[in-house]
Amino acid sequence: MKRYISSYFLFLAAALLLLASCVNHPDVPSSSKEAKSLPAIFPDYCNVTVPCNIAPLNFMLPADEYEACVARLTTPDGQQQTYGSGVKVQIPEEEWHAVLDASKGKSIKVEVWGQKADEWLSFSPFEIRVAEEPIDEYLSYRLIEPSYVAWTYMEIAQRNLTTFEESQIFNNEITMNDRTKGQCINCHSYQNYKTDNMLFHVRLSNAGTVIVNDGKVSRVNMKRDYTISGGVYPSWHPTAKLVAFSTNLTRQAFHTSNPNKIEVYDLASDMILYDVETDSVSIVSNDSTLLEVYPTWSPDGKYLYYCKSVPLPEEMQGQDIRTTYAKIQYNLYRRSFDLTTHGFGEEELVYDAASADKSVTLPRISPDGRYLLFALGQYGCFHSRHHDADIVCIPMEQYTGTGLTAETASALDLTLLNSKDYSDSYPSWSSNGHWIMIASRRDDDNYSRVYFANFNNGKIGKAFLLPQEDPELHVSLLKSYNRPEFMVEPVKISVEEFSKVFDK
Amino acid sequence: MAVLLFFGLAYPHHLHYQEQYQLFLFDSTYVWEIVKQPGGVADLLGRFCTQFFLFAWVGAAIIALLLSAVQLLTLRLSIVHSSQFIVHSSYGLSFVPSFLLWLFLLDENALLSGVWAVLLTLLVACVIVKLTKGWMRRILLIVAIPVFYWIVGPVCFPIPIDSLWLGVHYYRYPTAFPWLLWGAAFSAFVLILAVRFFNRKATASNRTVLMFCSFALVAVIMGFLVWKNANFKAEKVMQYDFMACHQQWNRILETVNAEKPNNQIGVTVQNLALAMRGMLLEHMFDYNQNSIHGLLPDVNTDATSPMPTAEAFYQLGMINVAQRTVFEAQEAILDFQKSGRCYKRLAQTNLINGQYEVARKYLMALQKTLFYRDWANETLPLLGNEKAIASHPEYGRLRQCAYNEDFYFSDHVTPEMLESLYYRNTDNRLAFQYLLAYYMLTGDREGYNRVISKEQ
Repeated sequence: MKRYISSYFLFLAAALLLLASCVNHPDVPSSSKEAKSLPAIFPDYCNVTVPCNIAPLNFMLPADEYEACVARLTTPDGQQQTYGSGVKVQIPEEEWHAVLDASKGKSIKVEVWGQKADEWLSFSPFEIRVAEEPIDEYLSYRLIEPSYVAWTYMEIAQRNLTTFEESQIFNNEITMNDRTKGQCINCHSYQNYKTDNMLFHVRLSNAGTVIVNDGKVSRVNMKRDYTISGGVYPSWHPTAKLVAFSTNLTRQAFHTSNPNKIEVYDLASDMILYDVETDSVSIVSNDSTLLEVYPTWSPDGKYLYYCKSVPLPEEMQGQDIRTTYAKIQYNLYRRSFDLTTHGFGEEELVYDAASADKSVTLPRISPDGRYLLFALGQYGCFHSRHHDADIVCIPMEQYTGTGLTAETASALDLTLLNSKDYSDSYPSWSSNGHWIMIASRRDDDNYSRVYFANFNNGKIGKAFLLPQEDPELHVSLLKSYNRPEFMVEPVKISVEEFSKVFDK
Repeated sequence: MAVLLFFGLAYPHHLHYQEQYQLFLFDSTYVWEIVKQPGGVADLLGRFCTQFFLFAWVGAAIIALLLSAVQLLTLRLSIVHSSQFIVHSSYGLSFVPSFLLWLFLLDENALLSGVWAVLLTLLVACVIVKLTKGWMRRILLIVAIPVFYWIVGPVCFPIPIDSLWLGVHYYRYPTAFPWLLWGAAFSAFVLILAVRFFNRKATASNRTVLMFCSFALVAVIMGFLVWKNANFKAEKVMQYDFMACHQQWNRILETVNAEKPNNQIGVTVQNLALAMRGMLLEHMFDYNQNSIHGLLPDVNTDATSPMPTAEAFYQLGMINVAQRTVFEAQEAILDFQKSGRCYKRLAQTNLINGQYEVARKYLMALQKTLFYRDWANETLPLLGNEKAIASHPEYGRLRQCAYNEDFYFSDHVTPEMLESLYYRNTDNRLAFQYLLAYYMLTGDREGYNRVISKEQ
């Protein structure tokens, strides 16, 4: 009896193991009708260029139109494999990375068949080009509802871009000691893509800025009598233990009809420089009549770039900002920085967006210093909800000391990166400068998703969505990816370790 | 029977309240996220049962069954330790844990997971006691505690230590200690010890007397406590909200005619029902009013009070405002759950606004529920179907009523907002009534006359 029982359990274990390792390699349909079009797969990975280390690009056909999907991948050396389970194509990580290795610098051919009303359709094949250059292995973002004022649970998470592994950096439950106030965590930021020096803010309950300095965690309060707030939008100096912040008095207004829904604006904003070693705050700029925001350093640390509003027409000055906000526009400036004295030079206009009736936000300089990336919208400093917001990239060699304009600057062609009629914002560079990342609401106009595009000597490839193990996740997930930031390594400090610097 | 009648007749809207502030999904990720927490299995069972509270009598029956099971298991555990006659004598005491759970459930923030936790603990205790004896039993009981802590939470070992109890999903306020639940669990534990004590003291001659006395004493005391602590005011408010949610305008009018509401939610719902029946301007002063705060009150950041106002915003055609109000209310749910009611309204408002992909997200989630699934399946084909939406009696009408000129929503509803809404579409009789009601309630004759003269 005992022998039969143990045999039974052994058999069960073996069956489970076998099932777990089973991958569906369906046969290619023996007959199909030619569809003469690219497949309407989600996410759209047709003819994209991907890094040589990215996680599998799983996709699916629309479940309300198709019953099944088969995809055949062919590597440049002729190796083929099919995938498909229901309408989804989910490729095991190991097999996918083998395909990537075999296709580096070349293309994978992808053929897709879809079963619709008992008939197989054969779509036009497409390519996935595999770049030689890898992408940074990690990405962090805040996962939040696309909310207005109230919020519930939120977390800052990190994702391994070569796999589907996601883990938590911090959440707003563990140290919230006053539920009537709630807690908001935000603005995670890293020095030079590494995580030994990083920070994030905590607002309201148990407030402060959590700073990791050479791996040691502390919590500080940056608010001073001479500043309008604590530090808000951060930017680490690339080499020194200095962080430039904007300080902001931020408000929101809500549209009754405009699909933009929410307007976020600053009543006041200035800039400060925070010295991590000495916990000191110095003023960079505090013009009370203008709004300075979104500081970002040049890769060599010699310049601080930032956005600053242009003065309103005289007849509008002094009015309620909600009535004038559609006229508030920001230009891009920079000031030189002396690392020895921590002194800043004179302000230089880099890009005059207002002359074209536009507004610049979120500038980022490429790691090689050759390109300038920013988000451009009609007005304001918060384009996350603006349908007209797009990403712009300008070669820095065009800037010779005189502010560039839409007429004098030849922006790169970002048609394949930007969406039509949806907000594209928060651009950033990978550490090797070959990948651009943006936050976009193009999928449904409400939930922000992460998109990547290849950047190769001024040429930008088609944007592709952050891959997920279940391709339907981006459709069903009711949270936005907020402030996506590249990292070359994971945050190694646990949630519990972070929580130790807070009051109980 | 008493529990069934109480929740079915006197307290049904507390059950509706519970149901609308959760969203049970038949989805492996959803299930796993719950069961991996301490008390997760009890929580899952509690949430599973709570979805049936959409139908109050079904919910009442579930609660009655659960509480009866707790009583029977408590009695069963007593039998093991006692002689037959002492069991009869302390029969009444076996109802104490159930009564305490009943008291616990009077609070709309008490969750059914607590009841399941007590029930499962008693069930497992009965099984262990029945199947094992001596040292084996003691060892098993000790080993079971940490395992069972993960399955049902600290109810299985009722020591009132904050760090063990807080954060386990028994109560909607995660930082409030659920004393009544603890009391129910502890009382079951104490009861068995007490029965052992009485085992030595009682004699055969007073068995029957003791039985009736113990039962009568417990029933009277507990019955009194239940009735005294039941929040019938909240029940009334919940009733109004329920009727507004289900658009039972006639029933609302019957209710307000029987007893005029004198709280903000009641008055808001009353005015909405009057307006939906075209009776607001002629009859509003037949009822209690609260100035404009009973018409379209300012929205607070909580999960409950904004909902009737959101209903009014929706029916008026202030779609973005309704959407934001409902979204914020859902974000304010204390235990971070999602709401079937809110998801449904968010799907509708996004559909009306033409944001079909966002509506699809909510509908896909609702497809994974038991009782919203059919509605989601009926609504999905409307997405992108402009003709069908235009001819839909609700969505088509509201699209025609919605603002077409944008402006920022103020901190309060203003007559300008209502004017803008009315003049966008003068067929919007609801907006017309609300606009004039606004002027009447604020005594603004000029505004009133201006609108009337434009009408003529």
